[in-house]
Amino acid sequence: MDLKKLTIKSIRAGLAKKEFTAEELRAEFLRAIKKENPKLNAYLSMFDTPLNTGYEILNTPLADIPCAIKDNILIDGTTCTAGSKILKNYIAAYDATVIKKLKKAGTVFLGKTNLDEFAMGTTTENSAFGPTLNPHDHSRVAGGSSGGSAAAVAAGLAVFALGSDTGGSIRAPASWCGVVGLKPTYGRVSRHGLIAMASSLDQIGPLTKNVEDAAIILNAIAGHDPMDSTSSPRAVPDFTAKLSQPITGMKIAVAKEFFAAGLNPDVAKTVERAISKLQMLGAHIDYVSLPLTDYALAAYYIIVPAEISANLARFDGIRYGHSSKNGKTLLETYTESRAEGLGNEVKRRIMLGTYTLSAGYYDAYYLKAQKVRALVRQSFDKIFESYDVIVGPTMPLVAPKLNELSTPLENYLADVYTVQVNLAGLPAISVPCGNADGLPVGLQIIGKHFAEETILKTAYAYEQSRTE
Amino acid sequence: MGLTKKEVEHIAALARIKLTAAEKGKMTEELGAILGYVGKLNQVNTDSVEPMAQVTGLENVLRPDDRSLPPGELTEKLVSQFPHKKNNHLKVKAVFGETTE
Repeated sequence: MDLKKLTIKSIRAGLAKKEFTAEELRAEFLRAIKKENPKLNAYLSMFDTPLNTGYEILNTPLADIPCAIKDNILIDGTTCTAGSKILKNYIAAYDATVIKKLKKAGTVFLGKTNLDEFAMGTTTENSAFGPTLNPHDHSRVAGGSSGGSAAAVAAGLAVFALGSDTGGSIRAPASWCGVVGLKPTYGRVSRHGLIAMASSLDQIGPLTKNVEDAAIILNAIAGHDPMDSTSSPRAVPDFTAKLSQPITGMKIAVAKEFFAAGLNPDVAKTVERAISKLQMLGAHIDYVSLPLTDYALAAYYIIVPAEISANLARFDGIRYGHSSKNGKTLLETYTESRAEGLGNEVKRRIMLGTYTLSAGYYDAYYLKAQKVRALVRQSFDKIFESYDVIVGPTMPLVAPKLNELSTPLENYLADVYTVQVNLAGLPAISVPCGNADGLPVGLQIIGKHFAEETILKTAYAYEQSRTE
Repeated sequence: MGLTKKEVEHIAALARIKLTAAEKGKMTEELGAILGYVGKLNQVNTDSVEPMAQVTGLENVLRPDDRSLPPGELTEKLVSQFPHKKNNHLKVKAVFGETTE
């Protein structure tokens, strides 16, 4: 059984034909994880008895499919660390809505995957529990912040994984690990039970081996949730229904700014080849401009730290998590617990957010960034008046070596193609499109709000054309 | 656009994070660099642009306040996570006691 090749459909078929049992499948994955995980550090915790078994009688698409969950999504009764020392022993008190939905669908949970602390990072080097290595090259990072999820799927240690994406955290590791990563439209998937980083940008999404699996999982996890006031009341279509529709006549825009200075030339060539493929499939390609691309990154790194500073105020050593023994007063309980429990990048972003929201600076930074955010949204709306999707590279480089991106700014600049999507709340998918310098490259396909079907079918058409 | 050490100390106090002297120095440098980078937003003309705080356009989303759970479940789980407790109550240091501020 080549675990790296198993997809959702191939497993359902294998179970139906009695080629293996659900129990044997689970055992195979546990064996593989015990063998490979010490090296890769994809999983932070494993469920020795995988959760949610005993659903063998279900005939749903996801029944008995073993998956991995990013460790910022709560599973009732199990530890949820958010990659941080401050939550090292925190035990979740309820299931996230996406977990409830996956449990109902019969999915089997293998364990929780590594992430940059509180999802802050592009490489998983900010995890308090060590980085996750790239399965394609162990001297390089898996990407982040959903690095563990991407590496688990790429290394055959899970059939699929859930990650979260605030500025590229599903798409970046997907691109660097050579797997598919989908960030749904903001509001498409409930955030209830996702440890919040930036509430107006966060979204949960799947990391998978192929596009069809991403569509199947989106079917299971999408939908309005009364527990998430930002979740959309829009009806959820069957995301697999239009997958194999041809893309002839589709109008595809390529943003010039996605091929500007700073892009690795080999990555550029690989992505250009992919775009030519789309053209051969009958799509019309045009070059357009997203003039706010560089400014969007600056706006992102004002807005997100601001939201982070508010969302992480709850980690104060009082109701849960690490509580310092060094605090002599109530105030010191806060300042010492946070000093001891939070990592450097987290502290940096909290400080940045506190500063830009403080009296005297709010207008110059935060308000200004919110106005630029509105302009970013408008710039996309304008392009989508005439085009169906926008494409380009997911990342400006291939997976860097450990410690290669050594300053905060160097890490932030790697997010240049991904953050705009979150600012505007648009759906986007990264699909593998070949290698550069021997390492995986991702093609990013961005769609209009709630147009997951369109980006999925574009990705599917491209993916299928590669196997011919 | 640099930050002074005094400003960093002020922000750390607001953020309720205790920083060591070394951390203060490093933070002054790093935050200064990031603020210098994001300062480029001043080049964008945002006259008569409404700030956008959220993308959904949803307003006043409500649900009935009737979340009745069977007893013996959620409260117990939450209490079990308290770092310090006494008789099912969360225990904290004195709010109005002597402070060292």
